[in-house]
Amino acid sequence: MDREPTEVDSLRLRIPEPKARPGEKPVFRDLLIDRAGEVRRPPIDVKPVDIVDLGAEMIRVLDIHGEAVGPWAGTLDAEQLRRGLRDMLTVRIFDARMLQSHRQGNTSFYMQSLGEEAVACAHRRALRPDDMCFPTYRQQGLLIAADYPLVTMINQIYSNSHDPLKGRQLPVMYSSRDAGFFSISGNLGTQFVQAVGWAMASALSSDTHIASGWIGDGATAESDFHSAMVFASTYHAPVILNIVNNQWAISTFQGFARGDSPTFATRGHGFGIASLRVDGNDYLAVHAVSAWAAQRARASHGPTLIEWVTYRVGAHSTSDDPSAYRPQDEPYIWPLGDPIDRLKNHLIHIGEWTEEQHQECVAEVEAAVRGAATEAEQFGTLRSGHSAPASMFDDVYATLPDHLRRQREQAGF
Amino acid sequence: MTMVEAIRDAHAVAMERDERVVVFGQDVGYFGGVFRCTQGLQKRFGKHRCFDTPINESGIVGVAVGMGAYGLRPCVEIQFADYVYPAYDQIVSEAARLRYRSAGDFTAPLTIRMPTGGGIFGGQTHSQSPESLFTHVAGLKTVIPSNPHDAKGLLISAIEDDDPVIFLEPKRLYNGPFDGHHERPIVPWSAHPLGEVPDGHYTTPLGVARIHRAGDDLTVLTYGTMVHVAQAAAEETGIDAEIIDLRSLVPLDVDAIVASVRKTGRCVVAHEATLTSGFGAELCAVVQEHVLWSLEAPIARVAGWDTPYPHAHEWSYFPGPARLGAAMRATMAVK
Amino acid sequence: MSIHILRLPDVGEGVAEAELVAWHVAAGDTVTSDTVVAEVLTDKATVEIYAPVAGVVATLHGEPGDVLAIGSDFIAIETGDGTGPAPVGPAVPAVVHEVPTIECESPAEPSQAAPALSTPGTLASPAVRERASRLGLSLGDIHGSGPDGRVTHDDLDRRIQSMSAIASAAEPTRVPIIGLRRKIADRLTVANSRIPHITYVDEVDMTQLEEVRRSLTTAYPEQPRLTVLPFVMRAIVLAVADRPQVNATFDDDEQVLTTYGAVHIGIATQTPNGLIVPVVRDAQSMDLWQTAAELSRVTGAARDGTAARDQLSGSSITITSLGALGGLVTTPIINRPEVAIIGINKMQVRPMWDGTRFVPRTMMNLSSSFDHRIVDGWEAATFVQRIKTLLEQPAQLLIPPPRP
Repeated sequence: MDREPTEVDSLRLRIPEPKARPGEKPVFRDLLIDRAGEVRRPPIDVKPVDIVDLGAEMIRVLDIHGEAVGPWAGTLDAEQLRRGLRDMLTVRIFDARMLQSHRQGNTSFYMQSLGEEAVACAHRRALRPDDMCFPTYRQQGLLIAADYPLVTMINQIYSNSHDPLKGRQLPVMYSSRDAGFFSISGNLGTQFVQAVGWAMASALSSDTHIASGWIGDGATAESDFHSAMVFASTYHAPVILNIVNNQWAISTFQGFARGDSPTFATRGHGFGIASLRVDGNDYLAVHAVSAWAAQRARASHGPTLIEWVTYRVGAHSTSDDPSAYRPQDEPYIWPLGDPIDRLKNHLIHIGEWTEEQHQECVAEVEAAVRGAATEAEQFGTLRSGHSAPASMFDDVYATLPDHLRRQREQAGF
Repeated sequence: MTMVEAIRDAHAVAMERDERVVVFGQDVGYFGGVFRCTQGLQKRFGKHRCFDTPINESGIVGVAVGMGAYGLRPCVEIQFADYVYPAYDQIVSEAARLRYRSAGDFTAPLTIRMPTGGGIFGGQTHSQSPESLFTHVAGLKTVIPSNPHDAKGLLISAIEDDDPVIFLEPKRLYNGPFDGHHERPIVPWSAHPLGEVPDGHYTTPLGVARIHRAGDDLTVLTYGTMVHVAQAAAEETGIDAEIIDLRSLVPLDVDAIVASVRKTGRCVVAHEATLTSGFGAELCAVVQEHVLWSLEAPIARVAGWDTPYPHAHEWSYFPGPARLGAAMRATMAVK
Repeated sequence: MSIHILRLPDVGEGVAEAELVAWHVAAGDTVTSDTVVAEVLTDKATVEIYAPVAGVVATLHGEPGDVLAIGSDFIAIETGDGTGPAPVGPAVPAVVHEVPTIECESPAEPSQAAPALSTPGTLASPAVRERASRLGLSLGDIHGSGPDGRVTHDDLDRRIQSMSAIASAAEPTRVPIIGLRRKIADRLTVANSRIPHITYVDEVDMTQLEEVRRSLTTAYPEQPRLTVLPFVMRAIVLAVADRPQVNATFDDDEQVLTTYGAVHIGIATQTPNGLIVPVVRDAQSMDLWQTAAELSRVTGAARDGTAARDQLSGSSITITSLGALGGLVTTPIINRPEVAIIGINKMQVRPMWDGTRFVPRTMMNLSSSFDHRIVDGWEAATFVQRIKTLLEQPAQLLIPPPRP
């Protein structure tokens, strides 16, 4: 029998705490991980209520031996896998180069996606070119896997004279309609509901393109997350709703946004949205589930919520120092491993890749990134000179209104 | 035609001309809106062009931003301007800046309609006039009609505009020109010349003010319901006031303001919204920037008091013709 | 705490306006009900205005030189009590019209400097500033007649007028015509423009009277020095008995002539501020000595500025004298609304023909003007002749007429 509270029992709150803080031994004891290949693959027209179990399980394809196993395997051929590996290597090497460039003063800010490259890279390759992603700032993989020019990315990061965004946006807040990459806001979560709107518009227009919205684990606490969920649910919007659970929202561990829900994927159940939980460091799993959700959306069976379980190995941004809030060795005991290593091992395991090829590929990508950076530096960096400030009065409105014309004159342009 | 009918008509005209125009919001579809401004649209254009939404303002506007980015021209209704705040982030951080931050790659050609202002005993949550929260935001246009004729023309302009437009509808004017004399019988729009609304398509350009009443002694800069209050105040004081109905706050018709104040040398600014940091402050600044040397007297501001909108004390709060008239007299009295 | 507003009281006799001469207090000063807060000038006199209540001066309405409407707000005093802010005094719209001024400009500095758009401490509306700048006028040099001394468009108008008026004069010295001088100017302008004057000059043999005057002065050394004026006054008193229409006032707006039984003689008097006219009232009831004493009192008060307003108004006929100057002949302007003014010219010994020879006589001319609408030439001449006779045979001036 429950004990009745007595009059002397005062009320208490729970303030969540991560399992380990700096100096403590990192643990991922509560991380629910299924063995690769064990989680079923339902048909794309499945009713959400019939797959509520998948919200708490974890779809994985690659096993510890580098074997692709289970019903989600087999969506990619060897060439696609090698391209995927190259995409991820490009992201990683690009990030490293840009961090270095930041320390050289070429830009003011940078955000890397170290350790979670598979999520964006594999997802983009599962979509069609004209599908629209509404990303957060950690999905540079979407652009790279869409073959977006590295030099254009660096031009944006450097805010130089070739910056397509004319020096207006914080570094990494890219925008490219042609690459299916919606303008990054920087305000968290706003894009999630916009993705739903874009998807609705596509459906209202009898189009065939779907939208893919992105949000981090921390930002699911924002009301816009719930707005997106309710609108997507109500109208069966053709949208994929991606939660990148990389465990940390700056210093706030994912338990704050998740509360007592077992997983982020189960957030979808109350909305009646098909919800899946996936090993985000498994390139094959990410691709397979993304393709499934895209097919489901394109067939107008409704939205899919996907929790990509991964780990932010690096700092939140160049302004962050994770050693202040989490054990320094936590990244190394992350149970889902490194996405690049896992795909590389798989390719080697199936005889489609060698260590030599890998080193060659790394060298090629490094050269490509270095070349792109050198090219971009010719157009200036934030330090050395940037885009013409006269353009800062453009694009506030479709046409320059009188009051801005006066201000531009006042500014001396 | 009432202002409600004019707004309804503007929707229909815009939807007829452009398939990209979609209309949605709370109670907007089947029911036609709590003020009936979208009545009949769903029946006429189908559920894919006009539909209801969840009670979720940030969702309504956020979805509209996504639709605008896709290439549609959403025209959404926020049931009362008082309810817009959950959508404020989507309006300010997203719709207003999308074109700019993407350097024109994506745009948000939305129209966000909302009933504004007091006069209906709506209390603090159905009476606010939040226009200055929008006029302060770069990238937004803010429009407030004062009559059915302009309401239709301005709404069509707003929907056809390539930028996000906040379209504030003075709810006390929906069914008649209200001059602040709440104790008098309601005058219907059918008895007012501006209640005559042409059929079919026409636009009232954004950024062009209308001289509601020509005069030589003093300029009243105002908009929305206060246009009619100013008319009453002019008649009751006998002051030959020139009443400028701004119609569009951003973009602002500075030329019209300058021409009038240069002529009269005296200026009173009037709005229902609270005084401090209200749009009237912007108007005062514009006047002093452009026509300071024509001023014979300090610019007076007549506005709602800096309190929440008090339900039972509506008529002590509302800046009616007596308050406006007193300010006009005081401005005229300065030698 | 409340504000007590004093409206400008009627300090004359039904005057409509008064000119503010000076403030004796400033905002923030503590006053009692005995404090003189200001001096104002009516057509008649400078009058002191007292604080109506004790308190602290909050606001002063008007600047020296302003003409203020009676009943307009004059001074606001913050009191510590709980009385309401009801204004004291008659409620009349504050019609403030401005004093015409001629500005004083330093002749050494031609105004070529950039116009002072914002002279520190100068109040003016932006429109006035803009206009002044366009005209090249420095606001700091312009007297502001508006509230708190604000320069108004009217002030600019006057400035422009005065500038064009003296434009051709080389290095002029210009002073504003304000205060009493302006009153005098206004009154004389009206009198001269409205009254058709007839001026009649005759000469009076004062020899005998002078002997009488000297003997009286010698006989009564303790009495005030006896001048000619009391004799002339006595003569007027006696003369108007025969010609009552010259002891009168004519309201030419109403076309009403008022003649008086009493004789209130105004004495045009030069004071440091200009000409004012104290009045010896009921001169008909006084003997020579009383007349002399009263004359001395009212003119003294006028000269030192202590004349009460009732000593400066209500005359029915006026004497004007230039004393030791006086010239041969003057053309006095009538003290409107009176109808006659008796001018006394210089007394001097002249050779006179007595029918057989020239004899030295003390002679004095009287130059007297009359309102020709009321007084015919013959009547004027008869009146002056009567005075002349009385002065030449002064016994009647000394001895009261026999009782009937």
